[in-house]
Amino acid sequence: MPNHPSPPGSASPAVSRRALLTGTAAAAGIGLTGCGSVAGGLSDKTRVKQWNLLAGADGAVMTEMHDNFSAEHPDIDLEATTFGWGTPFYTRLVMGASGGNASDIATIHLSRLKSVSPATLLDPITLDELKAHGLDPADFPEKIWEKCFVDDELYALPIDTHALVNYYNKELCAQIGVLDAEGRLIETSGVEAYFDILRAAKEITGQYGTSLDTLGGWRQFWAWYRQADGEMTFTDDDYEMDDDKALAAIEVMYKMSEEGLCPQFADGGQCAANFENAASAFVQVGNWEINRFKLFGGDNPEWFSMTEMPDFFGNRRTQGDCHSYVLPRHNSWDPEVRDATIEYAAWMLQHSFRWGEGGGHTPAYLPVTDGTDYQALQPNAEYSGVVENVQFDPDAWFSGSAARLFDETGGIFNQVYGLQMTPEDALAEIKSRIETLLALPNPVD
Amino acid sequence: MTVNTEAPAAAPAAMTRPPTPNGAKKKQWAGLWFVLPFAAFYALFLVWPTFLGLYYSFTDKSLTGRPASWVGLENWAEAFGDERAWAALGNTAEFTLYSTPPLVILAIALALLVNRARKLGWFLRMAFFAPFVVPVSVVTMIWIWIYQPDGGLLNHYLQLLGIQDAAAPTLWLQDKNTAMWSVVITTVWWTMGFNFLLYLAALQTIDPNVYEASSIDGASWWRQLWHITLPLLKRTTALVIVLQLIASLRIFDQMYLMTGGGPDRATEVAIHYIYISGFEGYRIGYASALSYVLFILILIISIFQFRLFSRKED
Amino acid sequence: MTAVQETQTAAPSARPVVRRRRLRKPSVGAVIVYAASAALAVLWLLPLLWALSTSFKVETEASLGQDIHWIPQDWSLEGYRTLFERGDHLTWMINSTIVSTIVTVLTLVLCVSAAYGFSRFEFPGKRIIFGAIIAGLMVPGQALIIPLFDLVNDLHLAGTYWGLALPQVVAPVMVFILKRFFDAIPKDYEEAAKLDGAGHLRVLWNVILPLSGPIMAAVGIFTFIGSWNNFLWPLLVATDPSMMTLPVGLGVVSGGYGLFYAQNMAAAILGALPLLIIFLIFQKQIVKGVAGVGLK
Repeated sequence: MPNHPSPPGSASPAVSRRALLTGTAAAAGIGLTGCGSVAGGLSDKTRVKQWNLLAGADGAVMTEMHDNFSAEHPDIDLEATTFGWGTPFYTRLVMGASGGNASDIATIHLSRLKSVSPATLLDPITLDELKAHGLDPADFPEKIWEKCFVDDELYALPIDTHALVNYYNKELCAQIGVLDAEGRLIETSGVEAYFDILRAAKEITGQYGTSLDTLGGWRQFWAWYRQADGEMTFTDDDYEMDDDKALAAIEVMYKMSEEGLCPQFADGGQCAANFENAASAFVQVGNWEINRFKLFGGDNPEWFSMTEMPDFFGNRRTQGDCHSYVLPRHNSWDPEVRDATIEYAAWMLQHSFRWGEGGGHTPAYLPVTDGTDYQALQPNAEYSGVVENVQFDPDAWFSGSAARLFDETGGIFNQVYGLQMTPEDALAEIKSRIETLLALPNPVD
Repeated sequence: MTVNTEAPAAAPAAMTRPPTPNGAKKKQWAGLWFVLPFAAFYALFLVWPTFLGLYYSFTDKSLTGRPASWVGLENWAEAFGDERAWAALGNTAEFTLYSTPPLVILAIALALLVNRARKLGWFLRMAFFAPFVVPVSVVTMIWIWIYQPDGGLLNHYLQLLGIQDAAAPTLWLQDKNTAMWSVVITTVWWTMGFNFLLYLAALQTIDPNVYEASSIDGASWWRQLWHITLPLLKRTTALVIVLQLIASLRIFDQMYLMTGGGPDRATEVAIHYIYISGFEGYRIGYASALSYVLFILILIISIFQFRLFSRKED
Repeated sequence: MTAVQETQTAAPSARPVVRRRRLRKPSVGAVIVYAASAALAVLWLLPLLWALSTSFKVETEASLGQDIHWIPQDWSLEGYRTLFERGDHLTWMINSTIVSTIVTVLTLVLCVSAAYGFSRFEFPGKRIIFGAIIAGLMVPGQALIIPLFDLVNDLHLAGTYWGLALPQVVAPVMVFILKRFFDAIPKDYEEAAKLDGAGHLRVLWNVILPLSGPIMAAVGIFTFIGSWNNFLWPLLVATDPSMMTLPVGLGVVSGGYGLFYAQNMAAAILGALPLLIIFLIFQKQIVKGVAGVGLK
């Protein structure tokens, strides 16, 4: 799906790795029984199907963790599948769950929990189950834990917090002279101060200063809008937003692109590539690209570092979200599968140090983040402040990562970067899209 | 889109001439038993959903499965006032407008050529028709890659030929102005072969004597083409155009796979919007009403098609 | 039309075209015609050839931004190997084969039976049923996806081979084509068989079907191609990758293939191969089938 914002990377080597065939014998034998597929049907292991939207570097880390999990659980056959990030994934989840036919467990963004209609499409998780697998509510940050409940039922298990961060090429930054004595990127204040750095970077790279995912513009918009203390609230048929602050945020995009400080079009993969090829000295994408960049460095994984988003409007707030596990609704649960599913989720959380180290995310499981290992982790420590500065998307059924607000405004921001739309027109278009969304009957509750 | 050919000639013929041979056929229940299995499937998977959809269009049924309630004509009113729906129909029309001429003209031109290069017939037929049997996702995978702005095959050669400035590569699928054309080009490449075969077959039924007579009169090749060949291909052309119209109204696959309806909905077509409303937006009731609007449009064109071809039969 | 798929059909009773060979002296014009058509044919095949060439490259050579080589500098089967290691491609291929086979067999059985019933019998309700099926020709399958999806969910068929196949089986147009063909078979043959005491099924099996080889082949091949290439319906009901057909798996899950171009194109080539082979084998029937549409 080329036209969806493609944040977490765009390359995924591992897709449905375990959907292996036992040969044509299987095709002849099973299949026509009405249920089940030819794949995996012959195994006597407990099969747990997992769907995720984690491609790219995240996908690689998750795959590695899955391999470890499988090695420790020879009786569980974990079958993980990665779908196109965003709408394709959520549509598949909802369509599958509506027929009781989705996976056993899936990863979603916590901001999307309400939008997938938990009461009808998800199965709640009981605290007893969690305890049986060694998890305790006290192991999670309270603010996040509360977001996992809908109507007093627990529907989600948070995996991490992730956010937009600012990566910088150490060598290029040294040339520009924007590193401090300890080799860290200096802090700036205000748009112009940062643009000056980008201009200097552009001189050196010959192409761009920074690179941003032009299809995922909502993230950048929300970060900057929130830096300016912009509020966005929705009621049943009305909304409030601060036009001036929104316009200021959109103008940043337009000016940056107009001056050639960033590409007019780049998806997540291209952004990362620009950064790697030194076509840009910075890249403002999610913390999830950390592993990709480390790998790119080969013998020199520390060729780059990362810090919080630059201060444009008075602080360093950024947009972010939490990956979480949910259980799509089942027509009926096989108790063994259910048990294996919770075991899988618990194991993944308990081993989420690797998720933080490799994926750059901040694990939600406190015993991991509070551990000394994690505290000593670099460069994760350099952007640890991000967690306090994370701004979650506004609360509405059409809002959240890859939800309609995100998607539709993303198309508009893409045109702003492409200089095909002025900031004023873009703001008007965004407001009109919001009004259209508000006018829609809420299909979730 | 797969080109849809419902053997339109066959259908009306069967309709207008009910089987009456052997006059005194007795009423036999046996016939019912032969027809029943098909009729049962037909009732379950075609008739029933048709009515079910109509019913849903009067409710606010949601994909989430929460209880639905009757909303009367609300969905219908919304559908008729929905700018996005009209825009999607407009895009569908735009696609039809762009794709039909090349699908007709190219097919005729290639058929004329191949008809004269008979010794290569097998190879040429294969070359032009082969893309038609390739699954749509394979077609789009290949073309998305060809269209890649940076280093894709198309831009590479355009730059080599000096038509394109390397600093400003065309964003084929990401630019509002080129996205629809890009999908059209892919579609023409994919489905032209079917029309090409139709024309080739039609050409091969033309009696060569017709040309010989006019050659004696000294008619040039162009005159022959305009005054003999093309008029004789009229019927095939009418068929191709009607089939193209119907197929275009149902277009979905290429847009879904290549552009996702973008950029900025520039390639969002009718079925895609139904899919978006119903499955991405969970609004089964509303999507049902939208489906019915489209349904009626297709019905009108189908009836037109029926009339066109039953007249031909007479 | 079937409920959801668009079939590519052919009115099959096309008369073979009698071509008259004309002797032509090889002229400049003829040379131009041959050269032009050969050039165009090669041009038309370029996208497929490009995919084929890329599929045999190593990833570094295949990736964007490299110089364009039509002949791989470093031949490699790496793309194909990774594909088979992942295994899902094979799963989808098998799923497609299963679904298309169910659809084709059921379509043939149901439509032949119904066409025979309509062609040879008078029975109560015949006109009504026949009329209803005529009307079905005009119902666009794509406009039914919403209620059909719901129906298949309610029947608990979502994500099963039956859910994938059954809604594609309803093909009124095939009933018409077959009925027309059966109508044209003289009754004399059957009368003889009936005198020998054959029942209706025997007549159908021993008399009608042997005379219907070409049309059955045409209906069968086109149903198979149509079902194999159907995208929208399997996209809706095959939720889990283990149940996807080839076009859907490649389209939906391949998003994750990302930047692995050689592997991507290997998948494309393998995805195109089965039907290309079928096309090459049945070229004559297919060409005749398509031609039949235009000639009737």
